[in-house]
This record gives sequence, structure tokens and C-alpha cells, in this order.
Amino acid sequence: MIAAIQPEDIRVSLQVAGLSTLICIVVGLPLAWLLARYRFRGRVLLEIAVTLPLVLPPTVVGYYLLRALGRGSTVGRFLEDELGLSVVFTWYGAALAAAIVSIPFLIRTAQAAFELVDPELEQVAQTLGRSRLGVFRAITLPLAARGIAAGIALAFARAIGEFGATVVLAGNIPGKTRTLPISVYDAVQAGDIARANATALVLIGISLASLLVFSWSLVLVRR
Amino acid sequence: MLSVDFEKRLDNFHLRPRFDAAEELIVLLGPSGSGKSLTLRAIAGLLRPDSGRIELPSGVVFDSAGRIDLAPQARSVGYVVQDLALFPHLSVAENIAFGLNGWPKAQQRQRVRELVELLALDGLESRLPRETSGGQQQRVALGRALAARPRVLLLDEPFNALDAPIRNALRREVSRLRRQLGLLALFVTHDLQEAYALADRIAIYDDGAVLQCGARDDVFRSPASVRVAQLLEARNIFEGRVVSKTEAFTEIETPWFRGRARGEGNLAPGARAALCVRPEHVILLRRDRPHSNQLETTLDVELVDELATGNNHRLYLKLAGTEDCIMEADVSAHPYQVMGIATQREWSVALTLEQTVAIPLADA
Repeated sequence: MIAAIQPEDIRVSLQVAGLSTLICIVVGLPLAWLLARYRFRGRVLLEIAVTLPLVLPPTVVGYYLLRALGRGSTVGRFLEDELGLSVVFTWYGAALAAAIVSIPFLIRTAQAAFELVDPELEQVAQTLGRSRLGVFRAITLPLAARGIAAGIALAFARAIGEFGATVVLAGNIPGKTRTLPISVYDAVQAGDIARANATALVLIGISLASLLVFSWSLVLVRR
Repeated sequence: MLSVDFEKRLDNFHLRPRFDAAEELIVLLGPSGSGKSLTLRAIAGLLRPDSGRIELPSGVVFDSAGRIDLAPQARSVGYVVQDLALFPHLSVAENIAFGLNGWPKAQQRQRVRELVELLALDGLESRLPRETSGGQQQRVALGRALAARPRVLLLDEPFNALDAPIRNALRREVSRLRRQLGLLALFVTHDLQEAYALADRIAIYDDGAVLQCGARDDVFRSPASVRVAQLLEARNIFEGRVVSKTEAFTEIETPWFRGRARGEGNLAPGARAALCVRPEHVILLRRDRPHSNQLETTLDVELVDELATGNNHRLYLKLAGTEDCIMEADVSAHPYQVMGIATQREWSVALTLEQTVAIPLADA
């Protein structure tokens, strides 16, 4: 039954979720740190903004991404004409869409992990001669590591399961933008029950595995 | 040389400490919330004063006029915070070595070995902080603060959470280390006994300001104000007016009695002043053996209450002929027994000139 799976769907899904998770880490970790450690103007607004994708229908996210980055927009035209980049109907466009809906999971989890690190530890570390960055590397990061790992695992799991925003922005192109969830939808539409079953099973497997990583990180955090 | 003189306004709190010290142990003593810990944070560079100057033996670390404000990592102070803040993910040895970042590896190992030996932490090097006892954690925190050979050690009520015997042992240890290493140490506490046991020099804090700073014995002997005397638990403070003054003594008339204090200071007759004597300096006498020394104050009293505190008895003595004037006296267990204090209520007390001080009062 598993034979009915399209291997390219798995490849596209891992590619999209992988890049999406990378974007989440690069953008999300500094934001999580900022939200955990600093009180500044507009902090609440930022917190709402990074949480919004959690409650917004993904199709809405995809629609606005299309409006903002598609051929019809200034940004989109600039990207395509000047840089030869198009986010519409490409796998990295799909990754961008997935990243936006996944990033709240990473930010909120990592923020909580950073907040659990006692600032006094960082201050004492500073009096012992370390720079801010040195303190972050030697104290903050190791102490928050498990929470951050949990956030990454959650963001990855969410990206694997992403459907709405991706399909609106990147469409359904086999081998290019057809991820596993889109493939399930596609197979059901086409009456290909064997492919739908196989793909759904693979999805369940990957999702379970990411959640296992997530729980394992959390168990370690509680120690 | 240490010299601290700065101002910092916080919500509902105005911190403005001013004191100095040489290479000795200076205790910052005062009620909780009086600004002692905040002062240490400012010295460590973790709290930025609004204005003023902080000078350490290594040089000026903050000066608002000269626009100097060294980062905490550049001040080279050893700072032991109240709850220690040991790094939970690092071993005892790694905690101690944390401040040695940048030293050659071999020297780091050598220095950690020295400190482990100095602080009797042998065999615990690879344990995590939570796998060691409270007293051991205390010594790890001390070792971590001392590792990079700072010239100033800041200790913020570090022994609070420990049992009395361990606390005493660590106090002796801190005194010994400080002398051995020639350090200037600032020790924050609100515990009078701890302050007395440790201090070479003492700074009395109250509500954000230093009321008095000086050699321990000078401060205890001559509190500069009634508030200082209260904070030092002098207990017997009687307000009144100076009636006569000679080289040898200052005579003060209080609403309850007339008494004599040492003659130092320049209190003129008529000035408001308080007569002050510590409970351990009140001498209990039998009434049938009156004292002859004219310069001493002798008063008849009645024992109305007492409190046993281990080796000591705190006696509450009501002055004869008054309704509510209580003098407190400490008597240790042996004389308490020999004199039969438990069964006798009528006594006299003598206040020696040497131990009685006249404290000037602001005119009301």
C-alpha cells in the first residue's frame, strides 16, 4: 500500500519544512530573546503580531503573501525582474508560507525557555569577565537549549502539516510545490484512494516523530 | 582604597550612600530595604547611578562628572549574590573556572586546583552544584568569585540560608581568606551579631543613606545619632537635656533620672541629648552594697521581666519611682546563678562613665 506514495512528495515536504524551520530559527530566536529579556515600546504589538498566524486561517496568510509578493505587487515585480526570484509557485515560496504559520510555535516556546533562565545568573557571569555575547553563549543558550529544541520540533511539525497558506501561494505542482498534505488533497480529488492512504500514513509517521522529539525535549527541560 | 559616593533615584526610593574603606572588611549593616544590596550592585556595575563616583582599589569605575562607567566585566570585582547563582549546568570545577576565560588552559587547571584546596572542595570537582551541600555551594560561589584574583570582594548576605554552626565556620573562613589575600571585602548583612563578628569597619544604612561609617569599635562606642544607636540595638536610650558639662563627663537630665556620660563632644548645657548605654554594659548591683564612685550613675530598679537567650539573660528593669521607664541589662548564665537573680526582684544598676555616651539630638 505504501508503494502508492509519490517519493517526490516526501522530498518536497522535507525540503519545504526544512527551509521553513531554518527561517523560523534565524528570525524567531532573536525575536524570542528580545521578547523574553527586554521591555520596550511596542512590545505587546510585536507579541501579538508573532502570535497572529496561530489563530488566522492559513489561507488568509497565503492570500496576503500572494498579494504582497506576487507579480501584481511592487515587491514581487522587483524580486522577479531584478533578482530573478519568484516566490509564487516555487518551493521556497512554499517554505516562506510554512515559516510564517510555524514561527509562533518556535517563538512562544523559546521565549518561555529564555524567561526561565534567571537573569541573576547572566549578571554574575558578566561580573566574572564575560561579554554579553559570551554570557549568552555560555549561560543563556545552554540553559534554554531544551526549550529551544522543543520549539524547533514544534515548528517543524507544524511546517510538515502546513496546507492552506502553501497551496494558495505556491499551488500544487508535483515535484515542485506538492507537499504531502497537498498530495492527500490532490489524491482525494482524483479518486486515488491508495495514494491518499499511503500519503496520510507517511504524514502521521513524520508528525509523530517530530512530536516525540518535542516531548522528549520537554521531559529533559523539567529535570 | 574604596570610596563610594553616588545617588540613584528609584520608584519611591532614594539611594545616596557615602562611605570609604581601605583594605579591610567593611560591613554594610541596616534593615532590609535600606539599599545595601543595591549599593553592591552599583559597585559591580549592574545598577547605574544617576550621579556620583565609585572608586575601587583598581581605579575609578564610575564617575558621572568624568563620564566613566566601566562595564561589569571590566571592573574585576568578585561578587557573591544572596542566593549564590551557581551555574546549574556547570560542574564545581567549571563554575570556579568561569572567570578564568582567556587564561591558558594549564594555568586555569592550576588555579582551580588551588581554590579547591583553599576551600576544601576536594573530590567535588566534577559534581553539579545541586549535588553538593549548602555549605559547599557557598564555598563554590566564594571560589568562583575569587578565581580571577579580584581586589574587591562583594558579599551579599551570603550565609543567610545556612545553619548556625556552618555559618560561623564560614564567617571565620571569610575573615581568614580576606586577610590572607589582602582583599578589600564588602559584606552586607542585617544581622548585628554577624556584623560585629566580621567587621573591621562598619557602615550603618537606613532608608538609602549611610548614617555613620567608621571603625567598628568607634561606631559601637559612639553612635552619631539616636537612629544609629537604635540600629545597633543599644536599647537603653533616654532623651533629655544637658545640665552640666566638664572634660570628664556630660550630665544629662532625663524625665526619669539624672545620669552622666563620657565628656567627649561639644554638647553645651541646655542642649538636647540622649543618654545611651548598651545592655551588656549595664552593671547589676545588690542594693545593700551601694557604689561609691561619684562619677557613675547608680539607680534603683525592679526586675519586671526577663528573657533567656542561650547563654545570656536579658533583664527588663523598671526604674524605681517611675511607671514605665525600662532599662535592659544582659547577664550571662554564671553570674545569673551566683547572684540568685531568679528569686530577687529588687536591684540597683550602675552605668559606668566609660560605657555611657551622650548622643546629640536635633532641637525639637
